[in-house]
Amino acid sequence: MGNVQILLRQHVGAPCAPCVEVGADVKKGTLIAAPTGLGANIFSSVYGKVTEITDDRIIIEPAAEQPDEFVPIDVPEDASKLDMVKAAGIVGMGGAGFPTGVKLNINLAETPLAELDPEINPELPADFKLEHSYILVNAAECEPGLEHNIKQLVEQTDKVIRGVKYCMEITHADKAIFAIKKKHHDAIKKLDAALKDEADISMHFLADIYPMGEERAVVRECLGVNLLPTQLPSAARSVVVNLETAAKVAEAIDEKKPCITKNLTVRGKLNGGNAAHVFMDVPVGVSVGELIEKAGGIDGEYGEIVMGGAFTGKSTTVDEPITKTTGGILVSVEFPDLHGANVGLLVCACGGSEDRMREIAEKMNGKVVSVCRCKQAIESKPGAPLKCLRPGNCPGQVKNNLQFKKDKCEYIIIGNCSDCSNTVMASGPKMGLKVFHQTDHVMRAVGHPLYRSLKISKEVSQDIDF
Amino acid sequence: MSITAETAKEHAHDPAVLCCRAEAGITIEPANLEDPAIFDDLVDSGLLSLDGCLTIEEVLGAKLTKTCDSLCPLTADVLDGVKAPSAPAEEEEEEAAPAAAPVAAPAAAPVAGGVMKIHIGEGKDIDLEIPVGALGAGGAAAVAVPAGAESTVAGAAPAEAEEEKVVRTLTRKHFNITEVKRGPETKIEGTTLYIREGIEQEVIDNQELVKDFHLEIITPENYHTYSETIMDVQPIATKEGDADLGTGVTRVLDGVVMMLTGTDEDGVQIGEFGSSEGYLDENIMWNRPGCPDKGEIFIKGNIVIQEKTNMERRGPMAAHTAFDVITQEIREVMKELDESLVSDTEELKQVRRPGKKKVVIVKEIMGQGAMHDNFILPVEPVGILGARANVDLGNVPVCVSPLEVLDGCIHALTCIGPASKEMSRHYWREPLVLEALHDPEVDLCGVVFVGSPQINAEKFYVSKRVGHTVEMMDVDGAFVTTEGFGNNHIDFASHIEQIGMRGVPVVGMSYCAVQGALVVGNKHMTYMVDNNKSESGIENEVLGCNTLCEEDAIRALAMLKTAMGGEEVKAAEKKWNPNVKSTNVELIEAAYGKKVDLVDNEQSLPMSQKRKEKYD
Repeated sequence: MGNVQILLRQHVGAPCAPCVEVGADVKKGTLIAAPTGLGANIFSSVYGKVTEITDDRIIIEPAAEQPDEFVPIDVPEDASKLDMVKAAGIVGMGGAGFPTGVKLNINLAETPLAELDPEINPELPADFKLEHSYILVNAAECEPGLEHNIKQLVEQTDKVIRGVKYCMEITHADKAIFAIKKKHHDAIKKLDAALKDEADISMHFLADIYPMGEERAVVRECLGVNLLPTQLPSAARSVVVNLETAAKVAEAIDEKKPCITKNLTVRGKLNGGNAAHVFMDVPVGVSVGELIEKAGGIDGEYGEIVMGGAFTGKSTTVDEPITKTTGGILVSVEFPDLHGANVGLLVCACGGSEDRMREIAEKMNGKVVSVCRCKQAIESKPGAPLKCLRPGNCPGQVKNNLQFKKDKCEYIIIGNCSDCSNTVMASGPKMGLKVFHQTDHVMRAVGHPLYRSLKISKEVSQDIDF
Repeated sequence: MSITAETAKEHAHDPAVLCCRAEAGITIEPANLEDPAIFDDLVDSGLLSLDGCLTIEEVLGAKLTKTCDSLCPLTADVLDGVKAPSAPAEEEEEEAAPAAAPVAAPAAAPVAGGVMKIHIGEGKDIDLEIPVGALGAGGAAAVAVPAGAESTVAGAAPAEAEEEKVVRTLTRKHFNITEVKRGPETKIEGTTLYIREGIEQEVIDNQELVKDFHLEIITPENYHTYSETIMDVQPIATKEGDADLGTGVTRVLDGVVMMLTGTDEDGVQIGEFGSSEGYLDENIMWNRPGCPDKGEIFIKGNIVIQEKTNMERRGPMAAHTAFDVITQEIREVMKELDESLVSDTEELKQVRRPGKKKVVIVKEIMGQGAMHDNFILPVEPVGILGARANVDLGNVPVCVSPLEVLDGCIHALTCIGPASKEMSRHYWREPLVLEALHDPEVDLCGVVFVGSPQINAEKFYVSKRVGHTVEMMDVDGAFVTTEGFGNNHIDFASHIEQIGMRGVPVVGMSYCAVQGALVVGNKHMTYMVDNNKSESGIENEVLGCNTLCEEDAIRALAMLKTAMGGEEVKAAEKKWNPNVKSTNVELIEAAYGKKVDLVDNEQSLPMSQKRKEKYD
């Protein structure tokens, strides 16, 4: 095992401040950094010695022996469940990294339905009400190619359900709904059986399109309520938690276990084929390279290594460590060479930022001559990440294509969702624009169809009819 | 891009096309529909065919029965519950209630997108010959609506409500004519007008260039008579006593007009871009301000001028001057008429409304030469004597009172593009002057005529004078109108720029549509009203068809009030879309609670051979 690098910022908020010295011996579960503002505790994920502390990370040299025991979280006997979640340093494991202790600190029973924008909710009656409050369990595993969420749901069904019930208890939610893609037949059957005595927990099936795991998409799919980009799920009397986060909540409460490991999928252009390698309970801080080697190593030339999903992830290097939010390590095929051709970028909230799209264009040796933004990509405040007004429902793209044409683009790179990509394809190629999707190099590497035309329905029946 | 409910309403009569893939079973809402503003480009590039496509108002709320992809035009076979289309003119009543709130402000045409831009910095002898028809889609025009304007304007008013001031009055005494005959002397007996036999020779002798002249009396029974191109339609009117135009008493004959037609000796029509020769009943847009009203008798003089002088200034001038010999003889008779023959008396008041929004009307008139000229301020209404030719005055701005306009201070020499040119009679019944004069919410301070010179350096010379003239008036808003299209749009745009750059909102009015699409533009051209009435948006050579009418004046006033009130006037689409007008008219009707009657177009006339072959 190589050195473990634990980043001081693994969550939404400010970096944590180290609370150990270089040379200190640490165990699994030793608190090594504490929040300075919005944040979550950070623990050592291994037994070992702190060898270096830099501005953004603590580097630990692991001991040869790595027992399973860990230092339990330091909470009083009578600590509340919420305090345990906070103490365990849990953050949103789906990738967003919002501190779970802050997210669950809400009384949903007393949270009223917020005012809904009628413009985006044309089908809701004027007197619409939500009778219940909800924990919405994000089991969409939305990013293509990842499999660790569903594997955990199948293997640790009871733990996940326990975590969900704790979340309901903490937030006073009287219902919970698992949002899961209908294609996961085994997981659905397993979950269905496990839920047969849980009157307040149900499932909602999602179509296999991107995005379905976006927080507001989950709310819309489960409750039929469209939220504005500025609204949180609490506006619809809900809290959305990833299933892995729920499991971490159960571990924190049942086992006093701090958040020191992560489940993830390593996949792509690897020796031995492109099937998913799912690693459970990987210590946070392990390097990308180590995990790739564990999965067989890179197969020859490759394009880039993506940390996270193909849509929202970022490029990384073998030396970088994984964090509490790392869900995927994806090794892509080589990029095509556009030989300096004119490229247009269609930036939206569902895919990479403009910087990420420019990076991909550069790696493809394209010259960016035009940048358009999807009409629904809203920057709720300057500099904030884009959010989609109606995730997964296209607002039309032909105007952007006309602009690309006008700007003399030969190629365009899009980062859109399934529905918007379909729209781009309805006019782009006919106009003579050659379309790439920002995920192409990863989709080819994992053997997933490219995002182009949409052939399936966005609606699925809610019956278990398989 | 998908559209909002507001946009869907504005484009209710436009084609409904899915912006994105939509699945069977969904209910069509605005978010499913593509913005009609970009259809032109899509149709042009072959990406879209709108055949059989329903309109937005028809499809909203209907259920899609089949999954359709992006850019699919919605047709009846994929929808359940399609609504019946509303005739644009009939639906205001039900629309009225929601529209009364500060609704969508409507459209105007900036001139940018896709338009051929001509920048003329400095230069002389630049002849711009623009094949206007070829320009196709250009910045066209549109219209606006009050929305909040009403409240804004009305809200400001009571605070400083001052008395209306009647600056001066003009009395029109009407004499009814039911029959026109030839006789030994020119006279009026009862309601019969006699014109002296042999007067034709005096017309011919009056001007060296006039080679032949025939006088015809056209009664409604023989409207289906062939005629050479119509050069002018004039009221027959005269001043009582020594009164100047625009003051005192004017006597006018009802039921009869003077009509000048003509060719040169080679039979070439005295026109430039098109001419209105043909059967009169197929080539006159009845009841336009500048045209004969249906039922009137025409005293029609057909003049033949020296060969090749049809496109020289002296040719048309000679024709008009000679023809006035007859009119003047009738005027002399009218002066002696007994008061007992007066069938009707009307009093026109020039009213000033201190405290109300002060507006000025700038009317661009032609001054390029040949038949593109105007005699300004004759002694008699639409006379010759005493008038100065616009070209001789250097086309510089001439300020006149609204009553001078209505009393025939312009004797127009128009021939180019007959559908969009203002005949002499147009000024006598100028709709914008009348509307602005009668509108209690604005203070019309006057009318400025400015010529449109041939040479570009001169165009900017006069437009800068317009800028300064308007600046010293301290107005809150201005109208700039023009007639014709093409070359004159260069100075039309410049007038608007010169006024606009002084911070005064300007509503521009012109025939534009398809054929007259603006060839130049600037950032001040944000409030535009298109005078087009023709079905296809073209110069259809039907006399007066596309001239400024009451409905255009109403739209322009609503738009200017909107602009002066600081309300938004939305940009029109790149390509001419007649629905912009109908939507705005609906909004105006809703906001003001009055019906705007729209005039007929050429489709109401019997089809002429020429129209059949060339246009429709």
